[in-house]
Amino acid sequence: MDQKPGDFDQYWQQTLEALAGYAACPEIDVLPLRSTDFATLYGVRLTSLGPYRLFGYLSIPTGEGPFPAIYYVPKYQSVLEIIPQGTTNLQRSRYITFALAGRGQRNADTPYAAMFPGLLTEGIDQAASYMFRGIVADSVRGLQFLLTRRELDPARVVVVGNDMALITAALQPGATHVVTAPALFYNTAELAPRIQVYPLEEVNDYLRTFPDRTEAVRRTLAYYDLRAFAPRLSATTLVMAGAPGTLLDTPTLGPLVTALQGQVTVYTSEQSSYKDGLYTEQWMAAQCGITDLQSILPEHWR
Amino acid sequence: MPNAVPIDYQCMLKKPDDFDAFWDGVLQQVAAIPLEPEMLPDPLRTSAEVEVFQVFYSSLEHVRIAAWYCRPTRRAARIPAVLVLPGYQADPPIPKEWALKGYGALSVAPRGKLRSHRQFNPGYPNLLTYNIVDRHTYAYRGFYVDAWRGIDFLLSRPEIDPTRLGVTGSSQGGGLTITTAAMRPEIRAAAAGAPYLCGFMDAIALTHTYPYEEINDFLRAHPDSRCAVEETVAYFDGINFADKITCPIIVNIGLQDNVCPPETGYALFNQIRATDKQLYTYDGHGHDAGRYKHNAIVDRFFAQHLLAER
Repeated sequence: MDQKPGDFDQYWQQTLEALAGYAACPEIDVLPLRSTDFATLYGVRLTSLGPYRLFGYLSIPTGEGPFPAIYYVPKYQSVLEIIPQGTTNLQRSRYITFALAGRGQRNADTPYAAMFPGLLTEGIDQAASYMFRGIVADSVRGLQFLLTRRELDPARVVVVGNDMALITAALQPGATHVVTAPALFYNTAELAPRIQVYPLEEVNDYLRTFPDRTEAVRRTLAYYDLRAFAPRLSATTLVMAGAPGTLLDTPTLGPLVTALQGQVTVYTSEQSSYKDGLYTEQWMAAQCGITDLQSILPEHWR
Repeated sequence: MPNAVPIDYQCMLKKPDDFDAFWDGVLQQVAAIPLEPEMLPDPLRTSAEVEVFQVFYSSLEHVRIAAWYCRPTRRAARIPAVLVLPGYQADPPIPKEWALKGYGALSVAPRGKLRSHRQFNPGYPNLLTYNIVDRHTYAYRGFYVDAWRGIDFLLSRPEIDPTRLGVTGSSQGGGLTITTAAMRPEIRAAAAGAPYLCGFMDAIALTHTYPYEEINDFLRAHPDSRCAVEETVAYFDGINFADKITCPIIVNIGLQDNVCPPETGYALFNQIRATDKQLYTYDGHGHDAGRYKHNAIVDRFFAQHLLAER
């Protein structure tokens, strides 16, 4: 197990302080093509650490708020979705949704365009300048922006994503709920060599090419390990674990679950996007007091 | 459990009279463009077992297309190959796992995808509706050809056995598998998962999730364009290509697919001309289309049709 670095708190405090040095300067434009009678979609530009200009899709339901909100943190892919593929558009009638492209993703790929695969190891031998330090700051900036929206109910703010969801909610107060599916930053130095599947294969590629950087990579990854963030997270959390026997299954994630401070539910994947997705939708609706979930589920899930 | 899906579902789709003439014209245009393949070793991604290359080739309108090519380090003089086609928003993967099974594998990034978007970049969302009122400039005209030209790249490789070519993908990759198997007679076996780009106009009524929702967005903004949209997508609908498929083919669908409605999967399968065809339906599965169980079936299918020496 990677040791939590002695200066872990300082590393992230410095990151947040540096981020605070840049005003978000939001620029918000209606996107009529994606707006409906039940929700208005906006393109949002924000400044993050660097300074670096980001892009996100903000959807606000029609009607009187306050509304619960779902923050879709930056994903590990080049494309930014308005809402995740397969989510019915009607989700936007009940929730504020905000999806953010971190630096390197499309719409936020100037001046830096990330490669997939490639991003995970971009600068990974230098913790201070590792690309994900900026991406974490981007994700935090996104949550800070969302929390400023007057339409938002601050008692119902769900942060959804992979590792970045947990890290963001741990670093920035305001998330009441978290849905996290660990993928990149859980005991990575130990687990990556066990598989040959991207994105973790990027770490294997990197260390095969630069074996002398093994310790430096391990040091960097320790600053991002979810177990080190877990004691900071008090939000009610749904941990999406892999199916039994997969790399990040429920037993493997046990130490993470134990370290979380809030109420935790662990869901073990049934390797069905239908069953896993339906559980997540039901969990979020229950947490947010959405009583007519059926009407906003995909047609083939009703 | 949700309602059952009718297995005899028929899409409200007509095949244009000049469908073949349209595509013949496109093929003539691309035939005049040299492939100009480049194959650059990628030492960072290469391992003891798999050699990885970055590949580039020219396609319609001289757009330069990127791809990943993997081959087993230890291999026979001639090996079979699989063309791997990507999902709508997925970044094309490095297909190492295919090389580990003994295939040469080309994973294509059609125009607009990461690494192939310098000359054409409609964005995501937007690809699906880019020039959707004009079949001659619709985004998928070039996009389809980019996938088909991947076969030309494989045929240019001396280590690839031209009589043992397969194609596979899921979602958009499944739709591209259908059109590629239809238009490239060199293909000997095809495996399509959760095929997208099939029954466009039915899909936008059956489901309201992205990417198909892009068309609903477009029609809400441009209601007068509905006929033009229907006319255009009929030239690109996988169902209208299905009667050209003669190679052995397997198709898998999830009966709770929230992205590509299973109704359209049935409609597609019923139109496939090949006699050696098999549909695998996965109840309790969504857009994953049961891939965790189905992957082993795909492996056996390609092993049967491609791995054996001819």
